[in-house]
Amino acid sequence: MKRFVFFILMLVLIAPAPWVSAATPQKGGSLTICVGDEPPGLDPTASASSAIDRVVYANIMEGLIKVDRNGQFVPGLATSWNASPDGKVYMFYLRQGVTFHNGEPFNAQVAKWNLERSAAQGTKNAHPEFFRVIEKIETPDDNTLKLTLKVVDALFIVHMAEGDAVMLPMKGFENTAAAPIGTGPFKFAKWNRGDSVEMVRNENYWNPRLPYLDKVTYRFIKDVSAQVAALKAGDVDIIGWLLAPELAADIAKDKRFKVFAGASTSEVIMSTNNKVKPFNNKLVRQAMAYAIDRQTVIDLVMSGYGTVIGSHWPPVTPYYKDMTGRFPHDLKKAKELMAKAGYPNGFEATIKLPAIYAYARRAGEVIADMLGQIGIKLKIEVVEWGYWLDRVFKQKDFELSMIGHAEAWDIGIYANPNYYFQYDSQEFRDAYDKALKAPNKAEKAKWFGRCQEIVAEDAVNGFLFLTPALSAMKVELMGWWQDYPTIAMDCTAVWWKK
Amino acid sequence: MLRYFAKKLITLVLLLFLVSITVFSVLFVLPGDPAQIILGINATPESLANLRAELGLDKSFMGQYTDWIGNLLLGRSHQSIHYKMPVFDLILGSLAVTGPMALLAMLFALAIALPSGIYAARHQNQAGDVTVMFCTQLGLATPEFWLGILLTLLFSVQLGWFSAGGFPGWSTDFWGSLKALLLPAFALGVIRASILTRLTRSSMLEVLREDYVRTARAKGLKERTVVYVHALRNALVPVLTIMGLQLGQLLAGTIIIENVYFLPGLGRLVFNAIGQRDLPVVRDIVLFMAAAVVVVNFLVDLTYAFLDPRIRLE
Repeated sequence: MKRFVFFILMLVLIAPAPWVSAATPQKGGSLTICVGDEPPGLDPTASASSAIDRVVYANIMEGLIKVDRNGQFVPGLATSWNASPDGKVYMFYLRQGVTFHNGEPFNAQVAKWNLERSAAQGTKNAHPEFFRVIEKIETPDDNTLKLTLKVVDALFIVHMAEGDAVMLPMKGFENTAAAPIGTGPFKFAKWNRGDSVEMVRNENYWNPRLPYLDKVTYRFIKDVSAQVAALKAGDVDIIGWLLAPELAADIAKDKRFKVFAGASTSEVIMSTNNKVKPFNNKLVRQAMAYAIDRQTVIDLVMSGYGTVIGSHWPPVTPYYKDMTGRFPHDLKKAKELMAKAGYPNGFEATIKLPAIYAYARRAGEVIADMLGQIGIKLKIEVVEWGYWLDRVFKQKDFELSMIGHAEAWDIGIYANPNYYFQYDSQEFRDAYDKALKAPNKAEKAKWFGRCQEIVAEDAVNGFLFLTPALSAMKVELMGWWQDYPTIAMDCTAVWWKK
Repeated sequence: MLRYFAKKLITLVLLLFLVSITVFSVLFVLPGDPAQIILGINATPESLANLRAELGLDKSFMGQYTDWIGNLLLGRSHQSIHYKMPVFDLILGSLAVTGPMALLAMLFALAIALPSGIYAARHQNQAGDVTVMFCTQLGLATPEFWLGILLTLLFSVQLGWFSAGGFPGWSTDFWGSLKALLLPAFALGVIRASILTRLTRSSMLEVLREDYVRTARAKGLKERTVVYVHALRNALVPVLTIMGLQLGQLLAGTIIIENVYFLPGLGRLVFNAIGQRDLPVVRDIVLFMAAAVVVVNFLVDLTYAFLDPRIRLE
């Protein structure tokens, strides 16, 4: 009998091993991730630069709410939350026993301090308006946060899940830009300027099962062929963001690697100055929309990777409304509209393309050819990034341009007539206002949908495609996010199959 | 000799002053707001203004210039906007990569150029000379970055002998660091070697026709002694001049190769800093590079006297 029990025991102990090892994540190992842009400092609460979020957000720092790999809002430092029926009062129930990497405890007072700091006068936060909507912050106890908003804000939860709203320690926050301290699964270790950022496992992470990796290194390599050479030579394990699409097919053929082509939140648009002639004419903009064959743009510019869009909303984000059918490729209709607008023979215009983005340069060339077919002769001007920000973005000195808008939920830029494409529509502002004040999901869907419809119908910009979340990695790497529904490269649940 | 030093020093100070004015004015009128680049395109006007004030960008032209020069004269380093650390430390860190790489590249260049240049001169218009000259043409026509990519494909991707780039750091891994610099230094060296080979050859040919060489031969000295001891020393003067220029250029101009091999060197630092409008870094590095070129040329001047005692520094 004893022997039988022992036998059963051994069976229980040994038997699951083979299939467990195939499916269960294993701890250990280090990961080197290649990204193109080195972040300008490491403090996501002092910049809207997406390069910062891609390194630190969800790895070193966390907010009350997280975005998971499917784009859903899930508990971060708050285990749960709810809103009052009128949408003005939010209760956040905070995770207990959480400490920052420097040992400071996280609690309701710390959360309150963080929210107040971001809303304060003279704050360095790039989005103080996210926090200024809060009228009153109460802390009934150490683990409860009661926020009363000035007005209903449908995007409040969205904003609390962005990098701008991460929680910093009250004592160790001053040096965040150079040596960040957070509550995340990884602790900041070292920033080798011009080369890499290193982080190591946080042994005291609030989820004791995570993370799996011992060490994560972000390495900054700008040149796309150098990126691929580094992957093939084994210097990096993954190219995490903006892998050159023309090189992806070649890597996919190599058995040592796999390529993910998921969805991101970055809409590439042909920005159009709605205030200058002839682009202030809606018919001209609609004619251009008909003249652009978006799938061909994707094929030629992105080697076929990417998703067609018809408005300013990523298909991975909730309340998406498919507007891709509004302006199908139709040269006949495009020419008719051009004639109706008073330009039967077309006109000349200039498109300014930011040199740092290969997709923008290439898309500009393809678009110039397509618009040439309805008589619009485009002069291509490739400009340096600082120049683009100053002349195109700030001074609005442009006719057409090309750029990816990385943030999700950013359709509100169309409500600002001073934004660089200078779209001025009361109808849109009303719809957006209603969307922001919508008390429930059905209403939100209705009004955010309407917003997408209006900008598509007005052909405010040339809506081209959603940048693919193209990444290439070693086949043994598991748990990497296929889609990037938020601006982050969350390594919490990434592991090596041995 | 003292007068010579004083003259050189005055030149250096004057030059740095002119460079500082030029760099500062150019960066001042250059479109592109550092605050906007840091904060991203969706930042509010308020946060932009706050950051601008913090960086001192709201001051006048003169105010910003005196801020910069004043601090430099006091030996105080500015903070890099992008990297949040003192610019001096950044320059020192990147110089630890670019400096050895430039020296290594010159070493490669010399190791190739001297023997082949001398060989070509001694076998003028023979098959060996023609071959060497053809190779230098090829070397001159090859762009650095292309050679860099080819070397990576062969030695890193195919053979796996070297990593494709990156730099482990001297203190963590000395031999690994040295190894990391070999391919880029070679790519840089080959082009320079082509120039130096041609120069060594023509300079050597000239010297070999001189009277004192004929005298040396007439004395019955061995051909080896004539070429390597008597002729080479004089032939090296023009070669050294060009080498000095090349070394100065290498310290300043390895941007492309550093990008191909993603080395955290001076070239990549200044390149990124311009793109990011990290103005304190750009200004200090340009000033440093100007000073480096002057100092290297000064050192070259000193070696003239050593090589050819007839030359006096005055």
